[in-house]
Amino acid sequence: MNITALKSLIDALSAPTISFTILTVIFPFIFPPSDWFEKIHRKSGLWRIWTKLGGVIGMILITAFFVIGYFDPYFNKTLTKADNFPIVLMIYSMWFYIWLGMFKAYRNDIRLDQGLKPNEYNDPDDKVLVWPDLVYIEFIALILFQVFLIVWSIIVAAPIEEPANPAATPNPSKAPWYFLGLQEMLVYYDPWIAGVLLPTFIIVGLMAIPYVDINKKGDGYYSFRERRVGMFIFMYGWVVLWLFLIIIGTFFRGPNWNFFGPFEYWDIHKVEALTNVNLSELLWVKWFNQGLPSNILIREGLGFVITGLYLFVLPVILAKTYLKDMYAAYGPTRFVTIMMLGLVMLALPIKMYLRWVFNLQYIVAIPEWFFNI
Amino acid sequence: MSDKNDKSLLEKMEESQVWKSIIRSGIPRTRRQRMHAILGSVFLHLHPARLPKHAVKVGYTWCMGGLSFFLFVNLTITGILLMFYYRPTVEYAFTDIIDLSEQVPLGIMRELHRWAAHSMVLIVWLHMVRVFMTGSYKPPREFNWGIGVILMVLTMLLSFTGYLLPWDQLAIWAVTVGSNMARATPFLGNEGPGAALLAIGDINLVHVGSDVRFALLGGRFVGEATLLRFYVLHCIAIPFVAMIFMAVHFWRIRKDGGISGPL
Amino acid sequence: MSEPKNNIAPRAAVGAVSKGRKTTMERRSFFSWLAVGWIGFAGVTGGFFTIILRYLFPNVLFEPPQSFKIGFPDKFAPNSVDISYKKDFNAWIVRDDESIFALSTVCTHLGCTPNWLATDNKFKCPCHGSGFRMTGIHFEGPAPRPLERFKIGVADDGQILVDKTKSYKWEKGEWENKDSFLKV
Repeated sequence: MNITALKSLIDALSAPTISFTILTVIFPFIFPPSDWFEKIHRKSGLWRIWTKLGGVIGMILITAFFVIGYFDPYFNKTLTKADNFPIVLMIYSMWFYIWLGMFKAYRNDIRLDQGLKPNEYNDPDDKVLVWPDLVYIEFIALILFQVFLIVWSIIVAAPIEEPANPAATPNPSKAPWYFLGLQEMLVYYDPWIAGVLLPTFIIVGLMAIPYVDINKKGDGYYSFRERRVGMFIFMYGWVVLWLFLIIIGTFFRGPNWNFFGPFEYWDIHKVEALTNVNLSELLWVKWFNQGLPSNILIREGLGFVITGLYLFVLPVILAKTYLKDMYAAYGPTRFVTIMMLGLVMLALPIKMYLRWVFNLQYIVAIPEWFFNI
Repeated sequence: MSDKNDKSLLEKMEESQVWKSIIRSGIPRTRRQRMHAILGSVFLHLHPARLPKHAVKVGYTWCMGGLSFFLFVNLTITGILLMFYYRPTVEYAFTDIIDLSEQVPLGIMRELHRWAAHSMVLIVWLHMVRVFMTGSYKPPREFNWGIGVILMVLTMLLSFTGYLLPWDQLAIWAVTVGSNMARATPFLGNEGPGAALLAIGDINLVHVGSDVRFALLGGRFVGEATLLRFYVLHCIAIPFVAMIFMAVHFWRIRKDGGISGPL
Repeated sequence: MSEPKNNIAPRAAVGAVSKGRKTTMERRSFFSWLAVGWIGFAGVTGGFFTIILRYLFPNVLFEPPQSFKIGFPDKFAPNSVDISYKKDFNAWIVRDDESIFALSTVCTHLGCTPNWLATDNKFKCPCHGSGFRMTGIHFEGPAPRPLERFKIGVADDGQILVDKTKSYKWEKGEWENKDSFLKV
C-alpha cells in the first residue's frame, strides 16, 4: 500500500463520526465489562493488547503515525507547534501507563485465579527503610525530570503569538489543550451545559466514585476482572470522552472549527453544509406541517418529555427490570447517584450522534430563557 | 590519640558542634540512624520511617504523586523568578514576556515554567489514573480521593489563569472562550437559565455588569482588570488554596493507613 | 460512688429548682441568648462576605465609549456588511434591502468574534463553527440564538448614531422595535 493511500485512509477514518464510533464499539471488547465481552476478548486475541507484545506494537503504531505525520507537509504544522508537544507526550504516556496498569492487572488476575496473593503483596513484617530505599528513588526521579525539563526548554521555545487584539479572533481559536475536550463538547451542547453543568458533573462524579463503588475487591493492587464494570466505565469516560476529544480538538479541528483529517490541508473555505434544526422545529414544522406554537412550554413539550423520560423514568424502569439486582445491592441513594452521573455521561455521545445523524441542534430549545438542552 | 589523625575530613566534620546541631543523628549508617533521618527531618517526615516493599517500587506508584509535588515546588520557584521581570498591565505584559527570552541572560525561565506547567497537568492526570487502577480510593481513603480531585481542578485552574499572562492572541482568546462559559452559569450568569427570574420589577439583578463572569474578569470583557485579577489568582490566590489542600492530602495519606496495598 | 449521684440529681432538675432565682439563667432565656448569639454571628459573617462580594464589582470602569457615530446613511451600499467598526467598536453595520442595523460582533455561543465571509455570505465563528446569515440569524453550529443588534438612530447632524448600551434580541421579538434598525 502506498503512503498517499494510507494517509487518505487515515484521514477518512479519523473523522469524528467514524473514529468515535469505532472506538466506542471496540471499547467493551478491549476492557470487557461482562462475560460475553470477555469471551470475544479472549477468542479474538484482543487480550494480547495487554501483553508485552501488545505494548510494543502500540508504541510502534503511535510512533509510526507521528513519523509519517512529521514528514507530511500539513500535519507537520500541527505537530511541531510548541504547545502541541504536550499532546504528543500525553498520547505516549497515557498509552504506556494504561498499558502498564492493565499488564500488571492481567498478571494479578491470573494469580488471583490460582488462589495466590497479588504480586504487590509482601509480608507486612518485612518492611524496608524509607531512607535510603524510597528517598533515593525520589531524588533520582526529580533530578531526571528536571534534566528533561531543561532539555525540553532549551530545544522548544515557549510559544508567543501576536499581541492581544480583542477585535481579531484567530481562526481557529483553541482553548489550552487540557480544556479542548470541553471545547469539543461545546460544539454539541449549549454553554450552560457544556461549560458549567458537565464540568460540575465531572468533578462531582469523580469525587463520588469511592462512595458509589461498593466493590471491596482490588484495593491496593492492580486488577481488572474483579472490578471490570467500574474499570470499563472509568476508562471509557477517561480515554474516549476526555482524552480522545482532546486529540480531536488538537489535531483534527481546523479553521471555522471544521473537521480536517490529520493529513488534510486546512482550507479556510472548506464548506460544510450543515443546517441544524431543533426538535421543536422538526416536530411542528416538518411533521405537523404548521408554525411553531407561541406558548414556549407547548412548543418544547416533546423535548421536556424526552429529557424527563431519559433522566427520571428510565432509572426507575431499569431498577425494576434489567438492573434489579444492582438496585438491591446498591440501595436507592447509590443507585440514583450512579444513574444520574452515568446517564449524564452517556448523554454526551447520544447528543453527538443526534447531531451527526439528524443534524439535531437542541432537544429543548428556549433561547428566550437561555435554556437549551 | 593516634586514631585522631586517621579520621577523615567527613568524620571530623560530623563531630563538630555545628554539624551535630543541624543533623542530630549523624550520617545515616545504622538502621536506627536511618529511621531517625526520616523522623527527625521536618521535610522527610512526610514519609513514615518504614514502608512495605511494594510501596517503594516505581512500578507500583509510577512516582506520579511525588513528581506532582516536585513540579509544584519547581513552578513556585520559576514563577517567583518570572515575577521579577513581569508587569501585569496591558501596556507592558506582552513586551515583558518578549524581553524574558531576549534581554535576560540564559532566558529559558519562561520555558521552564510553561513546560513544567504542562507536565504537571499531565502528571496529575496520570497520578489519578494510577490511583484508580490500583483501587486506592476505596475505604478508608475516599475522602483523600476527593481532596485529590480538587487538587487536580486547582492544577488546571492554575494553568488556565497563567495562560492569559503573556497577553498574546493565544492567551486572550483562550480565556475569552473559557470565561464566557461563566456567562451561562444558571442564575449567576447574565445568559444563564434562570437569571431572568432574579429581577425586581423591570430591573434585572443579574446583568452584564453584575454577574459571575464580571466578578471573574473585573469588567465586561477581557481587559486590563482581567489581566490583574488573573495575575493575582495565578500567583497568590490559587497556590495558597492548593497548598492548604496539599497539606490535607499528604496528612490524610498517613492518617488513612499510609499507602494502599493488598492485605 | 453515691456522692456523684447526689450531685447530679439536683443539677438535672436545675430548671425547676432555680425558678425565681435571678442569679441562675433559665433554660428559656439561655436559648434566646443563644439565638441572639447565632444571629449576631450570621450577621457578621454575612456582612463580611457581602463586603467581599461587593468589592469584586468596582463602581467605575475604564472601558471605551459605548456610543459612536458612523456617518451618513448613503455611505452604506445596499446588501453589504461594513466591517470597519469591528476593531474599535465591536459592531458590524449591515444594510439590507430596506434597513440599516448594527450587529454585535459577539458570537452568542461563547463570545468569540466571528468573521464576515463575503464569498459565503455569512458570519462564521472560528471558535466552534457557528454560522450566522447577514441578518444575524444563526443557522449552523452551536450558537443558540441570533447575534444581537444595537440601538441605532439618527443624530442631530444627520449622521447615524449607534448606542451599544441598548441591545435587541431577536428571540424576544425585539427586532420589531423601531430603535433596532434604521429604515432607508
